[in-house]
Amino acid sequence: MTSLFRTGFLLAKNSIIASSVRSLSITKPLNLKEIREQQKGQSIVIEGVIVPSPRTELLVRNDSVTSEDGKQPCYMCSLGLDVKHTDVLILSQFVRSDGCMLPRRITGLCSRQQKKIGKMVTMAQKAGLMINLTPGNCKKDPKKRFGYKKFNTYFDESTIFVKRLPKQEDRFRRSGSMYFN
Amino acid sequence: MSAAKRVQQWATFARTWHIFDCKWQDPYESANLIKKYLMGLHKPIYHPMNDCGDVVVCVNSRDIALRGDDWKQRAYFHHTGYPGGATWTLAWELHSKDPTMIIKKAVYRSMKGNLQRRHTMERLLIYPGMNVPEDVMQNVTNQIRQIRYVPVRLDHIPEEEVKSFPKVMDYPENYVLK
Repeated sequence: MTSLFRTGFLLAKNSIIASSVRSLSITKPLNLKEIREQQKGQSIVIEGVIVPSPRTELLVRNDSVTSEDGKQPCYMCSLGLDVKHTDVLILSQFVRSDGCMLPRRITGLCSRQQKKIGKMVTMAQKAGLMINLTPGNCKKDPKKRFGYKKFNTYFDESTIFVKRLPKQEDRFRRSGSMYFN
Repeated sequence: MSAAKRVQQWATFARTWHIFDCKWQDPYESANLIKKYLMGLHKPIYHPMNDCGDVVVCVNSRDIALRGDDWKQRAYFHHTGYPGGATWTLAWELHSKDPTMIIKKAVYRSMKGNLQRRHTMERLLIYPGMNVPEDVMQNVTNQIRQIRYVPVRLDHIPEEEVKSFPKVMDYPENYVLK
C-alpha cells in the first residue's frame, strides 16, 4: 500500500517539476543580453535587454587558413599570434569581469588554445597584471599580497605544455631527456 | 703625443659609470650582463691582469622579478660555523629582509671565485629604489639596456585604448554580459 502511495506521489511530483523545468522561452533566445535591474516606486523591475555586441566592429579574423583535411582551424590557431602572458589587452577579452576564464562553449576555441590561454590568464593574474579584473574581495594591489606573492613574478610560456617540470635533483640522474613528457 | 691621442688614452682607461634599472628583471639573467661591465669584458683592452672594469649602479632592486614559483622555491644557504648553525632562507624571506641581497649574490655567483672577485664587487652599487645619492648619480654616463620587457598592467592602460584595441574573441549570440 505504501509503495503504491509512493509511486503515485513520485508521478505527481515528476509531472509538476517537469512542467516547471521545461525550457520554454517567450522572448527570442539568441541574442547578446544584459540583465538590468531598476526600481520603479515600490516594485523592482529585472529585465534582460538585448544589446548589440561591442566587439563585432573591432573583430580581427583570418579566414584564409585551412588545415590539410579542409577543416577551418579555430580562430586563434588561424591568426597565429604569439601571445605572451604580458599581453593583457588580448587576454582580458577571454575573462569575465571577475577575472575568471570563460568556458570553451563561450570562447569557441580549440581545446589546445583554450588550455594555453587559460594558463596564460592564470599567469597574468599571478603576476598581478589584470588586477582590475578580480573578485570584489581582492585588495587590488599586488604589493599587499601575502608572503612570497607580493613580489614581482614572470612566467615562461614554454612551460605551458610541459607535462612534468624536472626537479632539482633530476640533474644527478643519468638520462635527463626521458624525464620530460 | 698629440692632444687628440692624449684624450683617447684617458677615455680608454677611464672608469665609466653605468646605470641599470632592475625593474621586472630576472636577477640571474641580468647578473651575467652586469658582470661583463663590472669586469670590463666589453672592452677591447680587456685582460685579466688589467684593471679596466667599470662601475655599475643598480636601481630599483626591490622590483626584481623571479620566474615561476622561484620566490618560494629558491633557498639561500648560510652557516654560522657552529654545530647546528646552518640556515636556509627562502628567496622571498631574504628579499623582504634586504632587497639588495639577491642581486648582489647573483652577480657574485656569476663571477669566477678568484682574488679579484671581492674587488670587482666593490664596484657594484645597488639601491632598492630610485633614491641614489647625488655624488653617485653625477658620475653616471651610460645606461645598460634592460633584458626583459617591463609588463604594463591592464589598469594602467587608458580605458579608451582598451576599448578600441582590436578584438579577437566575440561573445556568442545568447551570452549574458557579466
